[in-house]
Amino acid sequence: MQNKLSFHQSSVSLEIIGLPDYSNNENKDQISIISQWKLTIFDKPLIEGKIEHLVPIMNAFYIYSNLLIKNEIPLFESKLIDIKADNLYIHNIVLKSSKPNVKPLIIKIGNSLLSDTINCFDQLNESPKVRIKKLDVPNNISKKLRFGLNKKVKLFNIIFPPFIAICSLILFSSSFIYFYNPFENINKNELINPE
Amino acid sequence: MRKSYVKNNIKPNEFDALIRITVEMSKYLYPYIREILKSKENFEENSVIWNDFNKRFIELIKERFNMDSMRVKKLLNQTENDEVIVKYLLALSFCISNQGYQKLKNFLYDF
Repeated sequence: MQNKLSFHQSSVSLEIIGLPDYSNNENKDQISIISQWKLTIFDKPLIEGKIEHLVPIMNAFYIYSNLLIKNEIPLFESKLIDIKADNLYIHNIVLKSSKPNVKPLIIKIGNSLLSDTINCFDQLNESPKVRIKKLDVPNNISKKLRFGLNKKVKLFNIIFPPFIAICSLILFSSSFIYFYNPFENINKNELINPE
Repeated sequence: MRKSYVKNNIKPNEFDALIRITVEMSKYLYPYIREILKSKENFEENSVIWNDFNKRFIELIKERFNMDSMRVKKLLNQTENDEVIVKYLLALSFCISNQGYQKLKNFLYDF
C-alpha cells in the first residue's frame, strides 16, 4: 500500500504519493520514495509528474517569486518549465513535456494562486513526513550579503572605539598649546636682561 | 519616513522582533491578503476590496508618515504605488510558513 499526503492552501493542493524507506527503519506513514505527485490549481489543468520533475518545478517557483519581489526581471527558463510575467498580476507558466510530439501546457495564474502554490511547496518542504531533497529556500538569497552585513557591524565595533579615543586624545592635548607657560617666559626675560 | 522629531535608529533585536510580529500577523491575515491580491487581478469585476485597501493605506500614510519626504510622496502617487503595494502584499503572502521569518528578513535586505 502506498502512502498519500496532501498539502492544501486555499485554491491549490499538492498530493504526494510514495512509500517509506523500510531499510532506514522509517515509520509506516513516512514517504521517502516518491512515486507520483499532483499539483491541483483550482480551475486549471492538473499538473503531475515524477519525482525528478518535482524538485526543479519547486525550484522554478521559488526563484521566480524571489525575482518578482526583488524588482528584477521576473523570468525563469529551463528545459522543463518557463515562468514569465504577463504583467504584475498575471504569470505565464509553460510546462514542457519530456515526451516528443507533446505540446507544452500553458497555464496563466494570478498573484493569489502563485502565493498559494508557494505556500503548498513550503508546507511540503517543512513536513517531517516527506523526505525529499530539501530546498534551501530561505537561505537562497546571497550569503555574501548576510556575511557582509555581519562583517560590517563587527568591523565597525572594533574600529570605532579606538578611533574615538585617539580623536578625543588629540583634541584634549591640542588645547594645551594655548595655555600660558611661565617657565618659557622666565627664560626669555633672562635672555633679554642678562644681569 | 515617520512623523517624528526624534531620530532613533532601530536596534537589531527590535528589528528581528518586528519581523517576527509581521510574519505572525501575515499568517493570521493571509486570507485577507489573498483577497486583496485577487481583487487587483480581476479589477474590472471586483475592484471594491482593492479600492478599500488602497484608500486605507493612503489614509494611514498621511496620518503617520512625514509628507515632506520624497519616498513618502512616491508611496502616495496613485500611478506608482500599485506596484509597490502588490510587491509588499506578495512578500507578506510568501512568508506565512514556519521559515517565514528568515524569508521576510531576506526580502527586506533586498528591498
